[in-house]
Amino acid sequence: MNNAPPEIQLHPVQMIEQDKKKKAKYNFLKAALLDIFLVFYSIIVVQRAIYYKFIIELRELPFSWSTIFVIFAISILIGIFWTSTKTSLSCRLFGIAKDNNVSRWTTEIFGWFLFNITFIAGWIVTKLSIVDLFSSEGIMGAQRIFGALFQPEMGIFDDSLFAIIETIYIALLATIISIPPTLLLSFFTARNLMKDNKLSFTIYYILRVILNFIRSIEPLIWAIIFSVWVGIGPYAEMIALLVHTIASNAKLYSEAIENIEEGPVEAISATGANKIQVVWYAIVPQIVLPFLSFTIYRWDINVRMATIIGLVGGGGIGTMLMQYQGLGRWHEVGLIVLMIAFVVWVMDYISAKIREAIY
Amino acid sequence: MILQIKNLHKIYKNGTHALKGVSLDVKEGEFLVIIGLSGSGKSTLLRCINRLIEPTSGTINFLGKDITHISGEELRKVKSKIGMVFQQFNLIKRRSVLTNVIAGKLGSLKTLDSIFEKFSEDVYKEAYTSLETVGIADKARVRADSLSGGQQQRVAIARSLMQHPKLLLADEPVASLDPATSNSVMQYFEKINKELGTTVICNLHFLSLVRRYATRVIALKAGEIIYQGLPSDIDENWFRTIYGEEAEEVEIR
Repeated sequence: MNNAPPEIQLHPVQMIEQDKKKKAKYNFLKAALLDIFLVFYSIIVVQRAIYYKFIIELRELPFSWSTIFVIFAISILIGIFWTSTKTSLSCRLFGIAKDNNVSRWTTEIFGWFLFNITFIAGWIVTKLSIVDLFSSEGIMGAQRIFGALFQPEMGIFDDSLFAIIETIYIALLATIISIPPTLLLSFFTARNLMKDNKLSFTIYYILRVILNFIRSIEPLIWAIIFSVWVGIGPYAEMIALLVHTIASNAKLYSEAIENIEEGPVEAISATGANKIQVVWYAIVPQIVLPFLSFTIYRWDINVRMATIIGLVGGGGIGTMLMQYQGLGRWHEVGLIVLMIAFVVWVMDYISAKIREAIY
Repeated sequence: MILQIKNLHKIYKNGTHALKGVSLDVKEGEFLVIIGLSGSGKSTLLRCINRLIEPTSGTINFLGKDITHISGEELRKVKSKIGMVFQQFNLIKRRSVLTNVIAGKLGSLKTLDSIFEKFSEDVYKEAYTSLETVGIADKARVRADSLSGGQQQRVAIARSLMQHPKLLLADEPVASLDPATSNSVMQYFEKINKELGTTVICNLHFLSLVRRYATRVIALKAGEIIYQGLPSDIDENWFRTIYGEEAEEVEIR
């Protein structure tokens, strides 16, 4: 049985060795880049946020490209030097640090340093102030709002009921229309279906990038874009929700496809079925329930989001809330807030019950 | 000769050398059993035969034709002539037994017809015949996942019968069943082998089952064939070579 061609027997071992070398080089490059960034980041934060703003309390921060460039050049030097000593934080992250006490100490100290300067810079940027939270003026304002919330103005009950129904319908329509395109997209963005050849993998990759991009833009921003496109109002709000729903649910759906049991797929392909038949017989039955559950949950999310989009004029309860808030009529605001809270609670409950029931 | 495998190698992406030059011939009508420890390459070998896994090198001849590098329509034709039964049954859980059995016929059905489940009378008749062969025609309308393990495996056998397979591969078909059920499932394989003349290649763990059903045995160890011969010739020494010094034979009736 040992008459196999020698290159096959050597092949895997050699391949693994080569891979290791390539990986080591690649890791060093990654570590160096990360080190440069981390050093650059610490210098910038310490200089600008902590030194200028906090210690010498400048109001206007001086800005010049040449300083930034000098700092960047310095960090490149430090970063590359630090990586080559193999004691830096990123060396440890990418597994090329020497296992000695020096690298453990430097990693720990630098890690803490990064965390602390980030926290301090965050504190300065947020203008965190305990004084404001407990000033007597502030507390009076809070009392006014909370007082109004508990004495809602029932006079606008009809109007707000109508507005919240509008909101629910906007969310419902966005959810329903999203289903067919999401279904279609989810199959093209499932790794396990698309990894087989280069063309399909390219499609998969491009679609993923586009969907990630769409998803990373909040529905509120989409609403602003579409209100310019189709005119301000419920329609723009619906399209904004629709776009975001498609992008988010396509990801959830495709993950459900990626997590299916492989067994039935294997069994159906073994019968000589073609790709479409495999999808229909081995994959679809496994994903119908998760899909349904995601979609119902998304309706629930969309109701909440539709309220927020209404704040910028999409119509429905959000717009109404914004109007009364602008007029400073807190008792009306109180009623609207209570209604929103009630509807969101009911939707949450219903969607949870339905999802429980179908599993 | 229904199947000829020459010098088959399989190296997985992670570097595992699962098959190291396996060569074997299978005659028509044989009941060939492959034994060996877990990880010895049994499953890989079976999956290479119907190309669920792509072999790294070597050749596979099925019915006198080299099928090592075919693809597309041609490959699906070959797959539809090779039935396969799995350890985990791999049925479509939420569908009826009948749909599961008809799924075996997909290779010769039109795509649109299969999506809308428009099957001809003949297909239904055939499905009932295969279910009768494994003795569970009365369960045709129930959901596949409501059946017991043994019944599910019989449905899987019925599914593979729909392909009218020239060759039936079985990857540890009784490993997740209890001893009594194991025996009854194995009897269906025997029936198919003897009555329909289908060649069977089966991975098994229990030597008592091997002795009872196999016409020939191959033992794999670390991706190489270390034993070929009659089941009755496996003695204590061979047993220890195949399964290691620590092993002790378990009797299953």
